[in-house]
Parts: sequence; structure tokens; C-alpha cells
Amino acid sequence: MRASIPDIEGVIDRAGVDIYFEVHGHGVPALLLIPPGPITHSRLFKAQVPYLARHFRVVTFDARGNGRSGRPVERFAHTRAENVLDILSVMDATETTNAILVAHCHAVWWALEFATFHRERVSGMIAIEPGVPTLGRSQPHWIETAATWDQVLDQPAGWNLNNRHVYLNEHRKWVEWFFGQQLVEPHSSKPFEDAVTWALESTGEVLVAGEEGIEVEPPTPEGIDEMCRSLDMPVLVIHGELDVCQHVDRGRAFAELTGGELVELEGAGHLPLVRDPVVVNRTIKRFVDNMEAPMNSHVWTRGLNRRKKVLYLSSPIGLGHARRDLSIAQELRQIHPDVDIDWLAQDPVTSVLEGEGEKVHPASEWLASESGHIASEASGHDLHCFQALRRMDEILVANFMIFQEVVEEGMYDLVIGDEAWDVDHYWHENPELKRGSHVWLTDFVGFLPMPSGGDHEAFLTADYNAEMIEHIARFPRIRDRAIFVGNADDVIPASFGPGLPKIRDWTEQHFDFSGYITGFEPPNAGQLAQWRTELGYHADEPVCVVAVGGSGVGRDLLEKAIAALPMACRSLPDLRMVAVAGPRIDPSTLPSHPGLEVHGYVDRLYKNLAACDLAVVQGGLTTTMELTASKTPFIYFPLNNHFEQNHHVRHRLDQYNAGRHMDYALTDPEQLAAAIVTEIGNRVEYRDVESGGAARAAALIAELV
Amino acid sequence: MRARLPDRQGHAVRDGLRLGFEVAGSGSPSVLLLPTWTIIHSRFWKMQVPYLARHYQVITYDGPGNGRSDRSTDPFRYDPDSYASDAVEVLDTCGVDRAVVVGLSLGAQYGISLAANHPERVAGLVLVGAALPLVPPQPERAAIGAAFHGPAPTKPRGWERYNLAYWHSHYEDFVQFFFEQVLSEPHSTKAIEDAVSWALDAGPEILEVEAARPPAGGGRSSETIDPDAESIDHWAGLLEALACPTLVIHGTEDRIHQHQVGLEAARLAGASMITMEGSGHMPNVREPVRFNLVLRDFIEGVKE
Repeated sequence: MRASIPDIEGVIDRAGVDIYFEVHGHGVPALLLIPPGPITHSRLFKAQVPYLARHFRVVTFDARGNGRSGRPVERFAHTRAENVLDILSVMDATETTNAILVAHCHAVWWALEFATFHRERVSGMIAIEPGVPTLGRSQPHWIETAATWDQVLDQPAGWNLNNRHVYLNEHRKWVEWFFGQQLVEPHSSKPFEDAVTWALESTGEVLVAGEEGIEVEPPTPEGIDEMCRSLDMPVLVIHGELDVCQHVDRGRAFAELTGGELVELEGAGHLPLVRDPVVVNRTIKRFVDNMEAPMNSHVWTRGLNRRKKVLYLSSPIGLGHARRDLSIAQELRQIHPDVDIDWLAQDPVTSVLEGEGEKVHPASEWLASESGHIASEASGHDLHCFQALRRMDEILVANFMIFQEVVEEGMYDLVIGDEAWDVDHYWHENPELKRGSHVWLTDFVGFLPMPSGGDHEAFLTADYNAEMIEHIARFPRIRDRAIFVGNADDVIPASFGPGLPKIRDWTEQHFDFSGYITGFEPPNAGQLAQWRTELGYHADEPVCVVAVGGSGVGRDLLEKAIAALPMACRSLPDLRMVAVAGPRIDPSTLPSHPGLEVHGYVDRLYKNLAACDLAVVQGGLTTTMELTASKTPFIYFPLNNHFEQNHHVRHRLDQYNAGRHMDYALTDPEQLAAAIVTEIGNRVEYRDVESGGAARAAALIAELV
Repeated sequence: MRARLPDRQGHAVRDGLRLGFEVAGSGSPSVLLLPTWTIIHSRFWKMQVPYLARHYQVITYDGPGNGRSDRSTDPFRYDPDSYASDAVEVLDTCGVDRAVVVGLSLGAQYGISLAANHPERVAGLVLVGAALPLVPPQPERAAIGAAFHGPAPTKPRGWERYNLAYWHSHYEDFVQFFFEQVLSEPHSTKAIEDAVSWALDAGPEILEVEAARPPAGGGRSSETIDPDAESIDHWAGLLEALACPTLVIHGTEDRIHQHQVGLEAARLAGASMITMEGSGHMPNVREPVRFNLVLRDFIEGVKE
């Protein structure tokens, strides 16, 4: 059954040849669909007519020689001039004063001549796989077989079937060969059957006349070029890159000469009308709707021709995300070697990614700096990270708008957001904007109030938690997978707030657990000894590494530790203190002292942390868990007012029996010196940090690609 | 930290009064984001500027009385026609001939006046949560007009706080209440905090001056709360005369100016109407993504 029955149909007697036409729909403007007869007829547009007719007035007809039109067998009945007159008669008969021409293959040549000689009847041209000779490049099989067209060949096969005698005597054989070659797309059985059936409604004799008739008055390259250049109307060209009939260069040349928009279809052949009807239909509609403002030329790739594409967002807040996300990406490539990963990221994550040869999306440079914002929010040993996140609202929306453009443009299969708050929040707020699958990764769940914020802060954290819980309850389709980087026991046994669930219960219901992801394999004794040698730490000297985060917070802790150094040296005269200031603190601005060395950014800091005898650090998750994994004694000072370090990280470290927690505000240099002396070189009893977290996370993600 | 710093900052000066403006981006066309009621300043566009500036030249400025502009004590400076003249001065100073103009709440009046007095400067007009005296106010706000100059309520309930004497004695309480009505969507804590902090940059004295401005239509109505025939005729006439492409955006839950105001404005202007269901008075703040995309569509449509 046909999807659209014509509103009007009729037959014109055009100087003795019947021309059958149809009109569908009543919209504005009119579109005239011209099939490249006589090898096919108007049913070639069967996937376009029902859609276009809902919006426009669609006129189509069977070109002479096929369908319900007449079957003249003389070549002079098939000249371009006759076909151009047919177009004019159809427009007159249907009272179409003006139309946008939509033509396929060599019908574009007719359309070009029609538009040239009847300019006032045409307001635009949509050329699909344009078959205008001399333009661009001809397929070699046409050139080669033209020479033998009239010859009687001995058992012709392949492209040699393009021969007048084969057409006449073995019509089906040619038609099947031709369409078999044109339908380069896999799974084309039905379009093939259709095309062959339509072709066989005509005869070999008519087909010969059609082939020979169109070349009466042969074209010259100059004449064709001139006609294309003079076509002063909006032009859209749609061309399959694998077109075996009309080389894609021909479509490119037609677009260039006419100043038209070119949409190339990657993976598509000569018949996107039937093989990629959705993109063809939508491209036509969009062009007709915006005739005055055409889009830039672009390439669209068939679904099954696309490489798997992942957009990875790695939070720049703290340096820990970059390493673990790289590990996950590497594991994901083990499972899907054909996956392309683009990173939408910002400093300092981008420098880590570029160091590893990863591909950073160019839009990354437009992102407003989240790490800069966090640095601006920190002062002394204090970072109120909940309020800092709230005050990041305009940065999050600015960056989301960039992300959304990237994700719409890039046709990603999957978006992985490692604490990409903007994506998760605004996709829940605007669920119709979601593109691709979405994986949410985090190492903590739940905002928690700090005591200094009083009841009001407790109200605020509960409100934020409630919004997140409502988001996920209402739109479970936004997070296709949520992965907690850790174990269920690592989730804090607290509540989201009054009247809200327990964080652990809710997290177990809504997350998968990857276990912790270190980004490196914990060293064995041999490696440790080797790293110690590499770093120049002598076997018999106690080494204390003091390291602060990458966010610029940390000068206070460094200074307090340096002040503690001479006090600790009273008990440990050989004590060597290695202070790592990070990329944002100038080492030369720190005090100097015998036994102290100061470094800026240190690549692979985990080696220093593993090889030393004691580390003094803030309460960031990545650093403390690296210390836990390498079983290094460490003292940690969570940043004041930092709910994640004070609650979530501390709880997790307690699960591993790791580290000695100290309160920065309550610790003076003397007390720190005493703690250093007590803890340095101790044998620790930490629980092993699990390995394989990145592989488990990747396995959970891989199912979505 | 701001998501995007302006490319250019400066002051336009009209009749001795300095108006602080900012310019971000360089694309075409230019987009002018107007001030609104003096109670807040141009930072209320903070969710729009970084996005729009990637595509267009965006101009924001503070009206007389808040932000980086001088505090005018002349009530006539707060007349919509005066705002329109200020906008022209800002455009001139920025070297901009023509812009897509966006006005929120009272800013809608300024935008309409600008389009009426200087049609050649306005390529398109967007009216958001428009404060226009076109339909009777919702019952809870109906009493405001009469009570505004009365004695301060001692135990105010709801809109009773909209009282000049109460502003002077309990400005913060009024402001907190007011923005809880403006930003009535759940989970609006941050947006309310922002607006309240901007309101503290203004103060009751300047709002009192502004409230004394002459009614635009020549009628008796102060504010837009109690429309009389003159005001309705004035604004309806201007809306009907608008020659530029116009878009109206209005939330169904707007507690300051009801959704019907937007519908009526769109009808009179023959404008496109975008209804944001569930949204309050500042959808640009609470639905920034949708708002930005709608605005982008409109601007692309009026590109010359």
C-alpha cells in the first residue's frame, strides 16, 4: 500500500507521448520531483513524497519511457529538449507557476537546462547525486565502456554490460548489474528489488533510446560550466561519497560552480533517496525552510559507517580525576579498540592529557576555568567547597552551553562525565537536550554541611541533595550508568538531610561500584627500592614529603611543615624534607632551611609519595589513597570547611585504616614536629587498596558503546 | 569568579549621569540586555552573557541607581522614555547602530519605549516576564497600590511588605520576601542569594526616588500594579505599533506579572509567544539553558 495517495493525478498528451503526473499536499512552496527516466520512474521518491507532502505541495511525474508515461523508442523522442518540455507541461498542467526542482542523477541536467531557460518558473534547486556531464570527474567504467557501446561483445560481463546489444537482448542482466553496483550499502535487498522492478517496467529498447537521446547535442565543458555559474538561485547538493554512478567530485563541482550548499553522505552510494531517506528528507525540509540562509556544507555519516565516539569530561577540580580517567580510557580501548575518545577538559587536566597523546577537543579552550574559580575561593588552609560549587553557577551554565554545542555537533555515542556537574545537572533540567548515552562517575555522593555554616547550611545542603534526588527519580534516563569510584562501605553513613534517604541506601540503589581507581599499580618492594634510588633518597635517611594540591591552596600547610622541620630535626638530625608546592605556588617564595628542598610541579608524584618514609598532605582523596595503596605512613590535614575532605575522604580512609588525621587549626608546628617524629618510618597496617578498578569501570561503560 | 570577563568596560554619560556598561564578544548582531527595576543591576544577566558573547556582541549596562552607574535622585530619570534615551546613549558610546534588545520585567517597558522612540536602533525585541499594565493584577498584589504610601505594617503578611515605610525600616526583609516571590521555583536558594545581594547595592532611598517617577501613560498608576485606562491605552498602543520582530517569554508561575500579561502583550504586538510552564518571573536565571537557546533562535531569525 502506498503511504501517500495523490490528491490529483493525471496524464498529459505531450505531442503524442503520455506524461503521467501526481500532486500530493497543499503546502507552500511547491516542489517538483524529477526522476531520471527511463531507468526508473517517480516511485523512486516514495520515501520522500509522504513526508514532504505534509509540509509542501509536491508535484512529481514519470519521465517519458517508464512508469505510467509513454514509451517512445526513437532517440529523438528522448532528447534533453523533450524532457525539459515535459517538465514545463507538468508545471502548466498542475498550475504550478513556480517550484523548487528536486532532481536525481541525470535529471539534474534536465533541471539545470529547465532552470536556465525558464528561470521565472524555478525558485531553487535540490540536486541529488547530480549527473551533469563534464563536471568534476567521470567514473572510469563509463568512459571505458562508452567506446564499446555499439560493439557486439563476446560474453560481456561486469561494466561491459553497459552496451546497446546487452540492453536490447539481456535487459535484466544489465539492470541487475547496475543496481547491484549502485547499492553499495550493506542490507540493501529491498531497495535493490524495487529498483530492478521499476527498471523492468520499461524495455531495453527504450533504455537505449534514453541513453542515446540525452547525448544528442553533446555538451561542452565550457557550456556546462557557464550554465552552472549562471544559476542564480539557492542550490542544495546531496551526494554520497561512494556513488559509483556519479563520482562525488561531480557533486562537489556542481555545488562550487552554483555557489550551493553541499551535504556529503559518508558511506552512502548513488541512492540515498532510498537508503538514507531520513537524512535526505530532513535536509530537504531544512533547506526549503531556510532558503535565504543556507547552512555551511558538511558531511553526514551513515550510522553503520560511524566510528564509536566518546566524549570524556574530566573534572579539573583536583588533579586526581585526570589519572583515573586516563586509566579508564585505556581499559575502554582494550574492550573497544575502535573507539575514538575526545576530551572536553581544561587546565590542569589538559596538560596531563596532552602529555599522554590524548585528543583534546578544540572547544576546550572556550571553557571558563573551574579550577581558577576554586583557587579564587580558597584562602589559607580553607576551602568551602560546597559554597564554592554554588558560586560556580554561572561557570557551570557557560560551560554546559559549550558542551551542548560540542555534543550536538560531534554525534557522540557516549558522554562520560567524571564529576561533570554541568552536564549532569543541566541534562536533568533540560532532558530533551540529551545526546548519546551518559555515564556519571563520582567518588562521593551527598553534600554535607560543615558545622561553621549552622542550620542554614544544613538547609542548603539538604536542598541541593533533594534536587539531585528528584532529578534522578523523575528522569532515570539521563544517567544511563552511575559509577561510584569506590566500594559500598566507602559511602558515608549519613543522611542527605531531614526527610531524605540515607546516603548509603540511596547510593546502593542508584550506583554501580567500581572499587577505587588508583591510576597506577601499587609498587612492590623491588620497585620501591628502585624508585627510592631514582629519586636520590638514601636508604638510611628519613625522608618526609610535604605535598599540597594543584589548586593553589596549600601555602599555609607548607609553611607550617617547614616551621616544624627544625623542631623535628632535634630528634631526627638527618631528617630530609621534600616540599612539593604544585604548579601554582612559586617555590622560591617559601622559606629555606637546611634539610629542606622545594619543588614545583612533580610529574608522577605517586613515586615520591610511595618511596618516602612519611608524607604530610591535605585531605584530598587522590593523594591520600595513593599513600594508602603504597602503604606509606602519612599525616593528613583536611582543608577547613571542605566537606568532602572532612567527611567523605576521612570516612573512606578509616575503611582502609589509613593515615593519621590532624586538624590544621588545632596543630602548631611543635605538635606537627612531634607527629612527624612519631610517624616517620612506621610500619603501617593499611588494608590493601583493590586493583582493577579502572577495568571494572570500563567494563560497565563498555556496554553502552 | 565570573565565567567571562567583559572585553570592554566604560561609562556612557547622558545629562551628566554616568551609566556603567560592559561589552563582551564581537559577533553580529549586537544584543543589548537592558536593566530592569533598580532593585538589581546588570549581573542578573550573568547566565546569558558568556553564552551569547560566543556568538554576538553583548552589551549590558546598569540603569541609573544601581551597579556601576550614578545614583540619580531625579524621579524623571526613571521614566521609561528616559531609560530609552539612556539605552541610545549606551549604544552610541559603544558604536552600535542597531541591536536585538532584551528587557525583563520593567525592562520590557524600557525596550518598548526604545523601539517606539528609536525604531531604527532596534533589530528585534524580546520581552521577558513583562511588567506591563495590561490586565488586572493577581488578588494578592491588588492592594499594593493603595497601601504603598501608608504606614509600615507591624506584622506584615506577604505583599503587605510592599510599602515604602517598611522598605525604609525593614529593607532586607522586604528584599528577601520579594525575591522569594520572583524566584518561586523550588531549589532557588542561590538565585535568591544573588538577587538579595544585588538589591543591597541599591537600597530603599533609591527605590523611593524611582517609585516617584511619573506614570508613563499619564494616568494615576504607580508601578504597574493597578492599571488604569490611560496606562493600558498607552502600552497597548505602543505594542500595537511595534514594527520589529518581537518575542514574548513568560512563565506560567510568574508571581510578579502574571502569564496573562505576556499573552496580552504578544497578542497586541503580534509577537511570537514562548510560555515557560512552571517558571517564575526570571526564567533567564532559573532556566538559563532553555532561555539561552530560545534567545539564540530568535536572534538568528532576525539576523540581517
